[in-house]
Amino acid sequence: MKGLRFLLSRALQGLVVMLGVSALVFFALFLTGDPAALMMSPDASQAEIEAFRRAMGFDDPIWLQYLRFLGNLLQGDLGLSLRYQRPATDLLWERLPATALLALSALIWSSAIGMVLGVVSAVRKNSGLDFVIRVIALLGQAVPVFWLALLMILLFSLRLRWLPSSGMGGWQHLVMPSIALGAYYVSAMTRLVRASLIEVLGQNYIRTARAKGLGQWRIVVRHGLRNAMIPVITVQGMYFAALLGGALVTEIVFAWPGIGRLAVEAIQNRDFPVVQAVVLFTAAVFVIANFLVDIAYTWLNPRIRL
Amino acid sequence: MRLLSALTLGVALAIPAIPALAQDTELVIGRAVSTNAMDPGFMREAATIVDNIFDTLVMRDKQMNLVPGLATEWRAVDDLTWEFKLREGVTFHNGEPFDAEAVKFTLDRVLDPAANSPAISYIRTVASVEVVDPLTVRITTSAPDPLLPTRMSRYPAYIVPPKYVAEMGDAKFASQPVGTGAYRFEEFVPDERVVLAANENYWRGKPALDEVTWRPIPDSTARITALVTGEVDLIEDVPVDLAPMLTASPDVELVQVKDGGLTIYLGLRMDKEPLDDVKVRQALNHAIDRQGITDNLLQGMATPVGGQVGKSDFGYLDLPVPAYDPELSRKLLAEAGLPDGFEITMQSSTRYMKNNEVAQAIAQQLGDVGVKVNQQVLEWSVYTQKQPFDGPIYMLGWGSTQTLDADAAIYAIMRSGEPYSGAALPELDRLLDGSRQVVDPAAREKVLHEVQELAAREVPLISLYREDALLGRASDVHFEGRPDARIVLFDITKD
Repeated sequence: MKGLRFLLSRALQGLVVMLGVSALVFFALFLTGDPAALMMSPDASQAEIEAFRRAMGFDDPIWLQYLRFLGNLLQGDLGLSLRYQRPATDLLWERLPATALLALSALIWSSAIGMVLGVVSAVRKNSGLDFVIRVIALLGQAVPVFWLALLMILLFSLRLRWLPSSGMGGWQHLVMPSIALGAYYVSAMTRLVRASLIEVLGQNYIRTARAKGLGQWRIVVRHGLRNAMIPVITVQGMYFAALLGGALVTEIVFAWPGIGRLAVEAIQNRDFPVVQAVVLFTAAVFVIANFLVDIAYTWLNPRIRL
Repeated sequence: MRLLSALTLGVALAIPAIPALAQDTELVIGRAVSTNAMDPGFMREAATIVDNIFDTLVMRDKQMNLVPGLATEWRAVDDLTWEFKLREGVTFHNGEPFDAEAVKFTLDRVLDPAANSPAISYIRTVASVEVVDPLTVRITTSAPDPLLPTRMSRYPAYIVPPKYVAEMGDAKFASQPVGTGAYRFEEFVPDERVVLAANENYWRGKPALDEVTWRPIPDSTARITALVTGEVDLIEDVPVDLAPMLTASPDVELVQVKDGGLTIYLGLRMDKEPLDDVKVRQALNHAIDRQGITDNLLQGMATPVGGQVGKSDFGYLDLPVPAYDPELSRKLLAEAGLPDGFEITMQSSTRYMKNNEVAQAIAQQLGDVGVKVNQQVLEWSVYTQKQPFDGPIYMLGWGSTQTLDADAAIYAIMRSGEPYSGAALPELDRLLDGSRQVVDPAAREKVLHEVQELAAREVPLISLYREDALLGRASDVHFEGRPDARIVLFDITKD
């Protein structure tokens, strides 16, 4: 009962966040000016621009436009893309599979490798191996995505001709974008797992487990890792939400037909409804991810009661 | 980042290329932008792909002359009426016959105010379209319009099939277009590719290439890489500073279309002091070293100009490039009562070739004659928000490649009161407006020449240079760029 009330209150908080985001995207975009002039060809006359503005409803008071926007939003209607003349939500859903594929593949390999490196690093704390892993992790987080992406293109596409330089198609197309996108997260994951596990391994119950004569591996996995997972899961949830919102740089460099690229092009073209759709979608993914992370806590650590 | 990638690429190019696997009748083109919709009546982007699916009544040959297209001949019946005789036996890709009804339908749907076509301004002079018989159509204009045949040579005047459009509706038509052109639409995957196939029954003959795929690759380094690796055969939009990546590679060629780009100029707010004084404007005009900028900063990828009208444009007048003469500039400033110069803001963006570097060079050159320039660099979408531009000096590019007529090159930026214009010269306005009333080509050319002479004297804006259009092609692809920036697949062959 208490758990249900907690979940309800979290859901309500999520709704408030979404309302705030909706106001933010609506007004922030509005502050940047009037799209009517930009949408028309440069030699359109003032009268033609005016007619277009009226037709698109850009001449109504801003609060009225916001209410209209909210009303439509509740019905899942974010309006027609100014550029594509198609529902903004359709454009988003069309590109979701590509982004989801990229996000999942990046998340899976970076989590797996990050976990292993983090555990090794924590167990062999202050050894030479630990040092090497920490340097790699630092590099992964310090290297800009676009730079890594371009270097990979130059090496694997241009010089070695192993992988296609851009676009979406077979698994070969997925390799470089996935590595570019996951590089940051593998580092972050390694550092996080390492720090978290080192802290847990210093706890009394670990000493007790050792005193009981349990094997090192069993201590690390059963008693250490499971407890160390709480901060990891939190961060993981946020990463996945961020990845699903579209990897802007990666998708542009590799011409990956996903949400990130849609967002960048919509911003460049001042395509209001599409920008709003992407931002709202990303916010919703974050809210849902947070929610799921809360639930995952109880499963990982029964001491946390909702 | 570009320099770095160019260097790395140089090393990588030492490795011999693996031959491309594509068939010689298939072509892949890498574009900088995604395709959104292919309805020629409602374009919100360059019509590059649409150009190959549809035909216009009037076409342009490689020398940019107007030649018969879907119309075999046309004439001005009187000042307001044009008559077009249509080609017989042409059918759309779906088998629907092309006739006068299709022409009327095409223009009416763009002109319909309720349709809100963003391209309506290109044919706004059309008052009505009348079907005389199945192969004759008359177009009446609201005022004399010497440019009507030109307007019929580009979008939104690409002829669409009435029955098909009515059946499919506008939205579906835009993603599954049907025209009379050399290529028929085959497949469209948003952000991934558009595939066209040869129209075997094309009225000009069977095209050489069987299948053409257009792929959007937004990042320029990735686009050039795709060309060098043979993943694509032709690319658009090569940035000046990456051009060496193409010239360094043995398997690809840089296609430099002289005068194929925009004419870059400094707009002047003539309603603001001291730019209201002609001597000051002339002083600024002579303070800029155009040749130095195009030779050194732009590496010869642009040509200095003395006016806005392009060589291929109707009405072009060959004006000398204003001399770079700082001495004269200082003298003119002194005559204007400003011997110590003045301080002024110059706005620019990052849209054009090496935009920032050029703006800095200009600021420095103006500084040399005593004009202290405060540079304001704005993000493009912010920059173009507000017309007229704040200026008082603003850097902008303008083109007439789609119309190839002096009117398109100058009217909108020199006529006072037009959104993009900062000029305010009553005499110039009178001439410009007059030029739009003359239908006789010789008389019209004369007025247009007068406009350009007056502009050269009064300096309502400072013309700088014309950019080349830069593309890249694989060595086995035969493609020459056109001044109108079109990629005409019908004219492309592959070894």
